[in-house]
Amino acid sequence: MLCYSGYVSEDLLDAIGLTLKVRLNEHVEDRKKVKQIFSIFIELMQNLIRYGLEGPKGVTIKDEDHSGFGLVMVVEELDGYVSLISGNYIKSEAVPAMEARLSKVQGKSDEELRALLKDQIRKPTEETSKGASLGLTEIARRSAKPIETSFVQSDDKHHFFMMKAFV
Amino acid sequence: MSNEFLLAASSRTPKVSLNFDTGVLSLSGECYPEDATQFFGALNEALDRHFSNANNLSANISLIYFNSSSARALMELMDKFEDKAKSGSSISVVWSCDEDDDVTQEFVEDLLSDYSAMQLKVELIKSD
Repeated sequence: MLCYSGYVSEDLLDAIGLTLKVRLNEHVEDRKKVKQIFSIFIELMQNLIRYGLEGPKGVTIKDEDHSGFGLVMVVEELDGYVSLISGNYIKSEAVPAMEARLSKVQGKSDEELRALLKDQIRKPTEETSKGASLGLTEIARRSAKPIETSFVQSDDKHHFFMMKAFV
Repeated sequence: MSNEFLLAASSRTPKVSLNFDTGVLSLSGECYPEDATQFFGALNEALDRHFSNANNLSANISLIYFNSSSARALMELMDKFEDKAKSGSSISVVWSCDEDDDVTQEFVEDLLSDYSAMQLKVELIKSD
């Protein structure tokens, strides 16, 4: 349905978000599904803007911690689900913290995720996540199936992180 | 001094209005700003100005969609209202949720369940 790879900015999010909305309104009958897809999409894109790195081949990075680079895909699967996939490089040293954050949401029931959202919103922001472990919980909560994640080492300093959610 | 605080809607932020005479606050639209702290900071300043010489507020929150960082900022807004209500201000909030978004409805219900001093009401609306 949609695929983007490259630098991501809030202005781009506007443009792609609007395009996605039009596509969803044309292709997805269920209004509830449309809402969930759009919400997850925004969280994924804002994650890329905040955390996505250029990775091993990046040459134009001024601030290597904030390049806002990654890929996002929205796919109509044959089994009826719409999947939302994001991919971005992260520093290898950040992998354990990311895994720890993921472990809080993976394998949890809807009710557990609902409780976690309520709990996390009251917690002060973690230093390493600019405002949103909440975003991850929200993605997991809105996903119709457990989210899938993977880390692939790309060089001695970077891993490529992928996340897939389903609506 | 103007008697109204007004922010026009943008593609990522809602229309905001706060009338300093009537104490009516209205947020309507979508809310996923680049920097939620900054966006809500401006509203917080306007609210501080309002409460400096008023003790009533009637808020209508009608956000079709808000992202996770806005959710935290909205909670801080509710905390502020609850504090004001506890110290004797008359605060009422009507929060309208998109009827097609169960997750947000639950989230709003859970969030508001922490408050008791202000008057709260959740309504479902149809968007689009």
